[in-house]
Amino acid sequence: MDPQEATQRFYDSIWPHRAAVLRTARILTGNVHEADDLAQMTMLNAFKGIERFTPGTDAAKWLMTILRNCRIDRIRSAGKRAHAVSLDQLAFEPAGASEEAAIGAEPWDAGDEPPDAILNRFTDQEVIDALQNLPEEIRWTLLLIDVEQLDQREAAEILDVPVGTIKSRAHRGRAMLRQTLLPMAKEKRLI
Amino acid sequence: MNPLFNDNPADVQLDQAIANRLSKLRSMPVDTSSLDRALRRQVPAPPARGGMSWLLSIRPLRAVAASVAILLVISAILISTISAPAMASPAQMAQFHRDLVAGVTPAMRVDSIDAANRALAAQSPQSPQVPDVPAQHVMACCMKSVKNKKVACVLLKDNATPVTLTVANASDMKTPEAGSITRGGVSYNVQSVGSLNMVMTERHDKWICLIGELSADRLIDIADQLQF
Repeated sequence: MDPQEATQRFYDSIWPHRAAVLRTARILTGNVHEADDLAQMTMLNAFKGIERFTPGTDAAKWLMTILRNCRIDRIRSAGKRAHAVSLDQLAFEPAGASEEAAIGAEPWDAGDEPPDAILNRFTDQEVIDALQNLPEEIRWTLLLIDVEQLDQREAAEILDVPVGTIKSRAHRGRAMLRQTLLPMAKEKRLI
Repeated sequence: MNPLFNDNPADVQLDQAIANRLSKLRSMPVDTSSLDRALRRQVPAPPARGGMSWLLSIRPLRAVAASVAILLVISAILISTISAPAMASPAQMAQFHRDLVAGVTPAMRVDSIDAANRALAAQSPQSPQVPDVPAQHVMACCMKSVKNKKVACVLLKDNATPVTLTVANASDMKTPEAGSITRGGVSYNVQSVGSLNMVMTERHDKWICLIGELSADRLIDIADQLQF
C-alpha cells in the first residue's frame, strides 16, 4: 500500500477512536501513566498494521484486539502478574468452589434504596479503583461487555474464548465487583 | 445448575445495576492532548487531500510546486499550532446566551433538535451534531465561533426560562478550571457570570455547555437528558 494511502486510512478510520482507546486503557490499568503508554503503543501498532485493517469494518473492535495484545506484551515484558492471576491461568475457567463461596459471602443489604441510586454515588475513579481488584481477564470482560457495550460474541472473539466463558465471567465479575463496592459504600457512608 | 447463574430477582437487579454503572464509564471524559502530541511525533501528518500533481507534471513549474509545497508545510505547522483547543471563557459563553435571547445574534427559528441540526449543517458542514434534548422546547439555533472553532448554539426553553445549549467537538474546546459536580458518573464544571449559571462537560467526544438563569442542579438535570 502507498504510504500516503496508509496514513490517510489511519487518520480516517483509526484516529477518531483514540479517546476510546485511552479511556479503555485508563479503566483497564487504573494508572494514568501506564494507560498513556498503553494507548500510545496501541495506536502506533495500529498505524504499523493499518494495511491489515479493512475500511468499513469495525475499527473499535480491531483496536480493542490490538490493545489487548499490547497489554499482554507489556505484562509479560514487565514480568508482572495481574493480581497473582496469570493470563495463562485465565485462559480457562477458574470457577473454583472457594471463589463462588466468596462471591456469595455478603448479601447486598442497603435497605429499600435501589442499587442504581447507591452505585451512582461512586465517582468514576472509585469504580475504576474497584475494578482493579478483579482478575485481569474478568476486568477485560466487564470492560468490553458493560463499558464498551460490545455483544458477547464480539467480546469472545477479542478475548479468544467461547461465548459461554464470557457469560460466566461477566456474571462472576459483576458479583465480585459488588462485593468490592459494598464495603466501600458502607465505609463512605453511601448506604 | 451453576450456582452463579441463579434467577433470584434481587441478584438480577444487582447484576443490572452494576452493568448500568459500568456503562456510564463510557462517557468518562479523557484528555487526549498528550497522546495526540506523542502520536504526532511518530506518525506522519495526514496527506493533504486533492492534488497538485498536474503542477508537478509540468517540468518548468516544478520549482514553483516545490515552493508551494514548502509553504504548505509551513502553513500546516502554523495551522497545527493554531488548532490547539480554544478556552471556553464563561464571559463569552454568557454573552452568546444574552445575545441569542435578546435577538442580537441572527438565529434560525427551529422547533426541534433535528431541525436545528439540519439548519446548522446547511450553514456549515463542520457543524458539530447537537444531541437531542427530549423534554425541552427548542426555539432557535445559530453557529458561533470561539477562536475559529465551530460552536453550535441552540436556544431552549425550560418552562419559561431560556437556556442556551452550546455544543462543540471535545477536541476543539478546553474547559476552564472551576468547581465541579459529579452526577451519574459524569463530571460537570460549574461557572457563574452575574445571574447566569453554566455547566460544562464532555460526553461522547462532544463538549457541552448549558447556560441560563437556573440553578446548576437544574442545568445538570437538562444535561443528563441529552441523547447522543
